[in-house]
Amino acid sequence: MAIDFSRLSLKDALDLAVLIEQEAEERYLEFADQMTAHHTPDAEKFFRFMAVNEEKHGSELAVRRKHLFGDAPSSVSPTMILDVEAPDYDQARAFMSPRAALMTALRSEEKAYAYFDRALPSITNADVRALFEELRGDEIHHIELVKAELAKLPPGEEPDPEAFVDEPTAQ
Amino acid sequence: MSTMPPCGVLTPKDFKSELRPIWCPGCGDFSVLQAVYRALAAVNRPPHEIAFVSGIGCSSRIPGYTTAYGFNSVHGRALPIAQGIKIARPELLVLAAGGDGDGFSIGGGHVAHAIRRNVDIAYIVMDNQIYGLTKGQLSPTSPRGAKTCTSRLGSLEDPVNPLLYVLGYGCHFVAQGTPADMAGLTAMIEEAIRFPGFALVNIQSPCVTYGEEEQQIKAHRAKMTTLESLGHDSADRIRAMDLAQHYGTELYTGIFYRNPDPPPSYDSLVLARQEEMMAKAAPRERILEVFLQK
Repeated sequence: MAIDFSRLSLKDALDLAVLIEQEAEERYLEFADQMTAHHTPDAEKFFRFMAVNEEKHGSELAVRRKHLFGDAPSSVSPTMILDVEAPDYDQARAFMSPRAALMTALRSEEKAYAYFDRALPSITNADVRALFEELRGDEIHHIELVKAELAKLPPGEEPDPEAFVDEPTAQ
Repeated sequence: MSTMPPCGVLTPKDFKSELRPIWCPGCGDFSVLQAVYRALAAVNRPPHEIAFVSGIGCSSRIPGYTTAYGFNSVHGRALPIAQGIKIARPELLVLAAGGDGDGFSIGGGHVAHAIRRNVDIAYIVMDNQIYGLTKGQLSPTSPRGAKTCTSRLGSLEDPVNPLLYVLGYGCHFVAQGTPADMAGLTAMIEEAIRFPGFALVNIQSPCVTYGEEEQQIKAHRAKMTTLESLGHDSADRIRAMDLAQHYGTELYTGIFYRNPDPPPSYDSLVLARQEEMMAKAAPRERILEVFLQK
């Protein structure tokens, strides 16, 4: 369902922002579970860390929403957003390296930045505009954090996931 | 007493079971599953009114990852079972799912009859051009020249074209999607479910473990062309078949064909006949008179 950003209220915008964080949190948890099942502990640990961050951000937004609008019913639904900040499913790989996991997070933060940036020209409500500019700014900060972590990784040859793949078997 | 929320408030999460998928990370089927959750939420039938039947393969695990009543059956036999369920219980929403081998090799003989009967089932085929669960054998949609463990020097066979296959049999709803376009994929699955008759959605859902680089979602993003962008009229069956011929060389996504005036489904005809026969049936207390000589 396409969102008409020009008609978005602050309540709706906050609800959307919470849903975006929740979607990302759930996806990172899924990825972490996949890494558990495929014996990839470093990436698992990182994805769980990202899930915690997304949950924290979502909770902060939810508290703001509650403070401003109490228990007013929401008029947005999860089907209005799709993979805004959640990493795309095809980013995960069994035996993925910490670098690959960080790159997954980087792409997700860049996607989220692009989402808020693209929406801004359509927004007419000043409060919603301020919120989206803030959220866009948050994504810039997150991108910088991930890049800083990437820079800390030791250089060297990346393990080749292909090396762990079961060879095809004629039945 | 139902514990389900009233209709109108179902979300994708209402269709997500507690089983964690064991697919390889990066598998296209994760995206298909997400699209199914969203489509079912949009259709708004509660999980207990949905029967989801599959065959055998990685993709056939999908019913277990939903809260619908799932039936992971035997290889290639999802459609006969789904048809039986639908005819016996026409009020249920019935979905079928499987892979390209399940649907077009061992199960290929069932597809024609499900189509010609036009049973109201949405059939989701996860087409990855390989037998993935059993570790990488040539499948009916593997391209000519594909090197697999059962075609070490390259396949000498032309692949089945699943789109032409079903269009040729007269399928009234045929679509193709990819996880590279999740919004489009979700929309076409929803439309297939809503379509009053047999509907097939062929999804290019790559195998990350045994598929080639050019079959992966990244390549889909670069290669895909929506039928909408071509100005295709989905009511034009002949044009649909023309476009379907490019399966394997082009990645066209969207609805190839949707019959604008679909005939009644088989299950609705069976129901109508049953009601007609019941109207003519003798009352129970007189039924033995049929066998008594006067």
